[in-house]
Amino acid sequence: MSAVNSKQRQFDALVRSLSGDLFRYAYWLCGDEALANDLVQETFLRAWRALNDLRETSAAKAWLITILRREHARLYERKAPQFSDVSEIDIPDERDTVQPESAGEDAVIRAAIHRLDPKYREPLLMQVLGGFSCEEIARELNISAAAVMTQLFRARQKLKVMLGDGNKEANVYELS
Amino acid sequence: MNCLEFRRQLGVDPQSAEADFARHRQECARCAEAAARAVDFEAALRRALNVEPAAQLAESILLAQATQQQRGRRTWLRRGGLLAMAATLVVAVGLGMRVEARPLSAQAVEHLRGEPEALTLTKAVPAASVREAFAKRGIALRHDISGEVVYVGCCPMGRHLTVHMVMPGDTGPVTVIYVVDDRVRQSEDFQREGWHGRSVPIGGGTLILLARDSGQFDGIEAEWRTALQG
Repeated sequence: MSAVNSKQRQFDALVRSLSGDLFRYAYWLCGDEALANDLVQETFLRAWRALNDLRETSAAKAWLITILRREHARLYERKAPQFSDVSEIDIPDERDTVQPESAGEDAVIRAAIHRLDPKYREPLLMQVLGGFSCEEIARELNISAAAVMTQLFRARQKLKVMLGDGNKEANVYELS
Repeated sequence: MNCLEFRRQLGVDPQSAEADFARHRQECARCAEAAARAVDFEAALRRALNVEPAAQLAESILLAQATQQQRGRRTWLRRGGLLAMAATLVVAVGLGMRVEARPLSAQAVEHLRGEPEALTLTKAVPAASVREAFAKRGIALRHDISGEVVYVGCCPMGRHLTVHMVMPGDTGPVTVIYVVDDRVRQSEDFQREGWHGRSVPIGGGTLILLARDSGQFDGIEAEWRTALQG
């Protein structure tokens, strides 16, 4: 098998196995489905050009998420007026406008996640969707591991408060 | 680990595999209950975060990568041929020949040859993606078109900027290329390399349609005229 074919096969496998995870991460990062698709595509195109830098298959997801976060930051630099911070996006209150297809606990939790401050949401995404440890999140966000632990704790607490307000049946837990 | 430390760790990482954490959960019934609730909440959180990507996301990425590679190869070929081109131009000028740009119709067929994968897609792209592609080229569509679009991309075509789309049709896919920066003088139907084509001046640019069968051109042209001009 030629080096070119090998590289192409590696890329195909990465796209097919990780594009879904990358999309989910991008979606929760930017809050917009079309933009998330663009971010994921641009991430993989950059990954293709730098594929020789990827030494370990097990590190592929973290490597791609790092590229995606940079792309997301670039997007803000380029199109700052068009893309407001996700916390400023007017997210319709799904509790007030529950549609048949979005009814239920998932929709309520999604609305709460959208409302979460990005500084709490992103470490949570990295842990839950990315499978990162606190130390890995700390390296990626360039903050201390202790700060990551605090943000993860507060992220869950804030979700608990938001869900506790409007969803009495939500199974949240408390620090008592 | 005491109860307070356990609850803190529970808030940071409910899936923690630390030995102290696991031991405290076994020893303290109240914390074990809190841990069970936390695990339920984590499961609900994962379900909520699990938004589904578009079914054709992976295919779109692979298509974009293949297209980019193709362009890269063409760029290298062009660079390699620069000296030869320069020499040809010198000879042409010397002979008093006028060097004319190739017609848009020929460039469109060549562009289509470079992106055959676009014709194999079948899943509709959102109308927002079409609007966005035109917006990137500085054009605000007056209306969304009612016909389906299964591929949209902002492609360079020679020295021109375009929005390249594919619309499925009853008699096969129709390639729709809107050339943003060049306007032909008048409408023209043509045939090249087995493709039926039409180039139409609309707005400040040119709409080019390419298909194996031209039967759908009138309807598609009318739709795009409305979308671009209102």
